[in-house]
Amino acid sequence: MFLRLVADSFTRRPKRKLLTMAALALGMALATAALSVSLDIGDRLAQEFRSLGANLLVTPLADSLPLEIGGVDYRPVNAGAYLPEADLGKLKTIFWRFNIVAFSPMLQVPVFASSEVDNSTQASKPVELIGTWINHDVKIPDGTIYTTGVEKTNPWWQLKEGRWFNESSGDKSSPNSGNVEAVVGEKFAQRNGIKIGSNLEIVKTLLSAVEFPVKIVGIVSTGGPEDDAIIVPLTFAQNISNEPGMYRQLYVSALTKPEDAFARRDPKSMTPVEFDRWYCTPYISSIALQISEELKGTDVRVIRRVAEGEGNVLTRVRTLLWLVTFAALLAAALAVGASAAASVIERRTEIGLMKALGAGSGLVGVLLAAEQLLLAIVGGGIGYAVGILFARVLGMKIFGFAPEPKLFVLLIILVLAAMITLLGSALPLRKASRYEPAPILRGE
Amino acid sequence: MMADSPMFWRIVRRLITANYGRLFVILLALGAGAAVTAALLNLQIDAKKRLTTEFRALGANVIVAPRAASDTANAPAPTTLSQSVFAQLPTESEGKRIPAVAFLYVIGEVAKSGTLHIEPAVIAGADGQGLTEIRPGRRTEINAALENDPSSCEVGAKAAAQFKLHPGDSLQLRNQGREASCKIFAIIATGGAEDTQIFTKLDTAQSLANLPTRISLIQLSVTGTPDSVKRFIAILGERLPNADVHGVKQFTEAEGRIYTRISGLLSATVLLVLLLTSLCVMAGMSNVAIERKNDVGLMKAIGGSVRRVVRLFLAEAILMGIAGGLIGSAFGILVSIWLGKAVFGVAAQPRWIVYPFSVALTVIVSIASAFPLRRLASVRPASVFRGEA
Repeated sequence: MFLRLVADSFTRRPKRKLLTMAALALGMALATAALSVSLDIGDRLAQEFRSLGANLLVTPLADSLPLEIGGVDYRPVNAGAYLPEADLGKLKTIFWRFNIVAFSPMLQVPVFASSEVDNSTQASKPVELIGTWINHDVKIPDGTIYTTGVEKTNPWWQLKEGRWFNESSGDKSSPNSGNVEAVVGEKFAQRNGIKIGSNLEIVKTLLSAVEFPVKIVGIVSTGGPEDDAIIVPLTFAQNISNEPGMYRQLYVSALTKPEDAFARRDPKSMTPVEFDRWYCTPYISSIALQISEELKGTDVRVIRRVAEGEGNVLTRVRTLLWLVTFAALLAAALAVGASAAASVIERRTEIGLMKALGAGSGLVGVLLAAEQLLLAIVGGGIGYAVGILFARVLGMKIFGFAPEPKLFVLLIILVLAAMITLLGSALPLRKASRYEPAPILRGE
Repeated sequence: MMADSPMFWRIVRRLITANYGRLFVILLALGAGAAVTAALLNLQIDAKKRLTTEFRALGANVIVAPRAASDTANAPAPTTLSQSVFAQLPTESEGKRIPAVAFLYVIGEVAKSGTLHIEPAVIAGADGQGLTEIRPGRRTEINAALENDPSSCEVGAKAAAQFKLHPGDSLQLRNQGREASCKIFAIIATGGAEDTQIFTKLDTAQSLANLPTRISLIQLSVTGTPDSVKRFIAILGERLPNADVHGVKQFTEAEGRIYTRISGLLSATVLLVLLLTSLCVMAGMSNVAIERKNDVGLMKAIGGSVRRVVRLFLAEAILMGIAGGLIGSAFGILVSIWLGKAVFGVAAQPRWIVYPFSVALTVIVSIASAFPLRRLASVRPASVFRGEA
């Protein structure tokens, strides 16, 4: 009988129920879309921020002071310490290994270059040679291969012409046999009339007799000191500087959680429990510590301008989105609650009749609540589906990537829908339970 | 309608005040919609502006450097600019102060006073407003009392560790027989090349390098949307024909991309929220309106024409829309001021254009949601009174 009464109220006035449901579904669609976007966009934006480049810099711990001006290190090659390239696979074994988006080692060597066009040696000019990875396969200790390099860490290095060099170009056993490919900065190319296909002879010092020929396959524009440099495979730079398997600087790009007050505390002053919490949160400082634990003898520093710029903007945008979500939820709740309240207010006659026939206030309340709950579940479900659709469109339009539908959002939405409808009808229901049936039925 | 105007308004008044519960519910729904509309619109405009300010945590984004000399045979000896260029820089753009600092870099021998550890290091002479904005980092140690000392200097964290320096220590600087000394007032950690440098006053570096009135480059931190920064670079480039003015591509490009994404995201989310909120309020209000069957039935029974009945309800809807909109929007703008403070630390500026807009939107929503009443034209009074639905 109870179920029949509930079913009857739906079939008897389908249009009205449909409207209540539409309000509910729209409200919940709004809530779903806003929630999905808020939950997903933080990660998506953090990814986007990686286009700012590396946020961690690894250098040898025991080192002479780099004499770096405008990105060029003026130290002689034999000064300062180096780090072994073979260790780099260990970066992907730290606790937050999946947060390491990319890394690229760099070895800078001051050299002299002369183009083969004017075969005379007088054209030798000092220039910065940067050895690095473009798209390098790194062997991870667990046996997998991971591909990384400056294409990922320095996305603002854009090829103007040609292509990146092939890292395995040239003969490994005799590096000065030629066929090593290289890329030059646009200013350097412009000044020296270098075109794609040109050949360059590189010598370490003007007195050195050993010439290393390279073939130019691309011209790169970076807006930085690299515009005046020659970029070559890391192995080639190692051969020229006579430091096989070594690098000097490592740029690491990691996905991090923006620093909060807790992250700014000194880990040394934390209790063991706090330290564990800090260590197991992807703060930039804890990732830095984990890297220096894996790579012995290194100094891992946070590139503050990148890390803090990212942290600031991300925190703000996240808070903003949560506020928008909250506002949307509130508006949806009020509108849906209003509609739920209205549907109860206008059913006084029905309630009066039920009471006249002997139903207690409790039964009437339960009956109406059951109706509202049914509405909430159906409306919430429809709203969830529509909302996911909206979130997809939004995600695709802005990030080219649709947020994953999350099941727990559905749960939140259903609970929310039930709460809103029940709360919205609670007040009028309480009033209704105090109705005296007789005056209502008389139409007073 | 003219003749029975007082009657018309009397009925409208009775319609509105007859049931306070319903009045409250309607105003709540409309007001909430209006408040969200006003708050989001106001905050949206403000947030985009604030974001460009937040991006300045990235530090300098424009560099004025000497034009590369055509003869590069002596490339490692860096070319310099005249210090007079610095005075030609604008101090503000679009009403925002532009931090600008001139640098002269010298490689010199450095030692902590009283020790024999001598090592070459980069000495950066700096002069200008806003060094902390140009070179974002954290001062790990500071002795504020020494900050305004004319011979004070700041040391990068890596250099400080190398020489075991702390604020208050004295530093001996030497370059080709010329000597200077300075007193350390702070240790700065930036994570970049600055960590290995020693920041002195510009004239100290100039006398060490024997390059009076010369500078290596100027760094600026220009606030604005990606387009306005680009315009600034173009204008400054024209004004300084002898210098090379360029953006720091690493930051300008990423900034542009991220800014477009975020502002697109904000606009799209706000639009979506507005659309769904309006639809939601509309559906809720229609539901309220449809419950008025009895009123319509009664009016028709005593001779009201369908047009007049609809007009009555429209008048009611408009009044409700105006009331809900006025109250809700005002509340929304107040909330957005507070929200701006919560998110960006600066109260959002109220923009008055938002107010009429969101009131108008509320009225439109309110009228649209009264539309189902047109269907009530087919209501047969008799069946209503008999209690048939």
